Amino acid sequence: MKKFVSLFLALVLMLALFVGCDGDKKPGETGAAQKSDLKLALVVAGQFGDRSFYDSSKDGVDRLAKDLGIQVTKIECNNDGHDAQMKNAADKADVVVCVGWEFYNIEEIAPQYPNVKWIWIDNATSKPVANVLNITYAQNEGSFLAGYIAAAMSKTGVVGAVGGEDQDVINDFIVGYKQGAAAYDAKVKVVTNYADTYDDPAKGKECAFALNDQKADVIFQIASATGDGVFEAAKERGFYAIGVDSDQKYINPDVIICSMKKEVGNSIYDAVKALAEGDASRWGTTWVADMSSGYVGIGYGDAGMTQQIPDEVKTAVEEMAKKIISGEIKVDTTR
Amino acid sequence: MSEFEKVLSSIFSYGTLQQMLRSATPVALAAIGGSMTEHAGIMNIGMDGMILMGAFFGVLGSFLFHTALAGVGMAVVMGVLVGLFFALLVVRYKSDEFIIGCALNTFAIGLTSYLSRSYFGTSGTKGNPALPMLRLAFLDKIPVLRIFNNQSLFVYLTWIIVIAAWIFVYKTPYGFWLRASGEKPDTLRTAGISPKRMKWIASILCGVLCALAGAHLSLGQLSGTFAENMSNSRGFIAFACVIFAAANPAKAYIAALMFGFFEAIGLRLQGYVSSDLTNTIPYIITIVMMAWVVVRKQAKKRTAKQET
Repeated sequence: MKKFVSLFLALVLMLALFVGCDGDKKPGETGAAQKSDLKLALVVAGQFGDRSFYDSSKDGVDRLAKDLGIQVTKIECNNDGHDAQMKNAADKADVVVCVGWEFYNIEEIAPQYPNVKWIWIDNATSKPVANVLNITYAQNEGSFLAGYIAAAMSKTGVVGAVGGEDQDVINDFIVGYKQGAAAYDAKVKVVTNYADTYDDPAKGKECAFALNDQKADVIFQIASATGDGVFEAAKERGFYAIGVDSDQKYINPDVIICSMKKEVGNSIYDAVKALAEGDASRWGTTWVADMSSGYVGIGYGDAGMTQQIPDEVKTAVEEMAKKIISGEIKVDTTR
Repeated sequence: MSEFEKVLSSIFSYGTLQQMLRSATPVALAAIGGSMTEHAGIMNIGMDGMILMGAFFGVLGSFLFHTALAGVGMAVVMGVLVGLFFALLVVRYKSDEFIIGCALNTFAIGLTSYLSRSYFGTSGTKGNPALPMLRLAFLDKIPVLRIFNNQSLFVYLTWIIVIAAWIFVYKTPYGFWLRASGEKPDTLRTAGISPKRMKWIASILCGVLCALAGAHLSLGQLSGTFAENMSNSRGFIAFACVIFAAANPAKAYIAALMFGFFEAIGLRLQGYVSSDLTNTIPYIITIVMMAWVVVRKQAKKRTAKQET
């Protein structure tokens, strides 16, 4: 009897594990005018619910399912077992979208599945792979504008940024941010730190407090769910915060003055839509989605939300954006 | 002021000490709970999962009943249940506590993520009613006591719990039995007290204290926010504190303060040293602490031998 009960409990524990990793595997909704029989798998390195980077990609594939009738499977790696999840996805899909710089083994895995079209978001293979489309974003350009705004809104002359970890993509945001702040006023000091985790809001809050202790009064979060803590710190101490990847102002319109948008969802949508229409010319290349094509920019929230940024700063930001697009301003990058 | 003094003052500020108190509190609460099971002879590595459960059910209670106190209540009830569940497997069915601890951690991540998604959607939740903070304007003017201002009530509650736990373990018969149940269960049995019952009690206490740690994390330190896997290995740091303190609740609190202190220092050092290096500080401290514990034990053994 005892043995049976222990076995049963162990079974319950095991089942509970599966419940957790279930994700939401909804088959794509059909009913759109133009149908495609493509099967798409979205593999994200972390988990949905960050209200920025990963959720934006989810939003993109959801729209693909709705508009084109593409069948969508979504897989979350929860920062673990990326390679296995890539293979799982490739076994059952024609298009695999890997979201996160962490999927670097795509170089070895993609050639093993020559019939699958791969999209790698946020990083690029060291040399072109025929069936991989790399999409990287000019986050340095968007962050430049964020830095400009931060410097313009700062009263203390110190602005801050909280990064998820000390790593290429995150640092690409930071160099742009620093340059943007200096473009507004060379005397503005930029202080930064890294939380070294993407899912610990309490740590993010401490990071923001530590920067605020160094007098930073506008803080840019580049740290996924950890960044939620930055918004809370801003609310508690009464300083400003800048959101990242999605337009995050709605989370707390009183302290989030703007967001640096990286339109991950739109870029996936556009690339897959082109593929569904028979255009696979992009594969084998790296596509830098930048400000000129509108994939990177600043979001000020929806109409009706309190706006802290004065109109003249917004106009100046627009000028800056034009200069970046025309190439008059060259933004530094870590890549 | 010289450059070096500037660096020092930016690292050792009131902010550092305030963060020390904030970051130490969840670790300390869990460590006190871990001390109970440690005394009862159970090696409990499932504290991280228990904290995560507490964090989630705290937020859920606060969300459902619109008051943070209900959140704390719900976290505590779940803490009791998790403690009972843990004891059922480890004490009653004598399963390997290491495996059950691991399973509990993974189970907690799965369960809280699943429930969080069914209640709040994938975006997790935030902005639910949170616990009040102590805000006293006059405290800000007093030099040292300033660090105690603007802290969550849990910070002060922890002091009471530390003292209560210390008295419980070392000054009451129950604490004596608890220790005996781990060290000499047979002797305790001859005295007519069931060691198993003490182990059950220890597990439940540990569940409750870890749940409070989680509730502090989500309702005290943050304002009603839950993110998947937000315990971020605090349970393991708490376990290190338990071992370092030889399961003495007061010493465990001091160990937790040390971790909080070094975490705060690490964040502030980042301006001068690479973050990859500063983030290893808590773990380096763990190794140093462990080495110290071993060295001291050896020294004790030597003196004991010389005395005999």
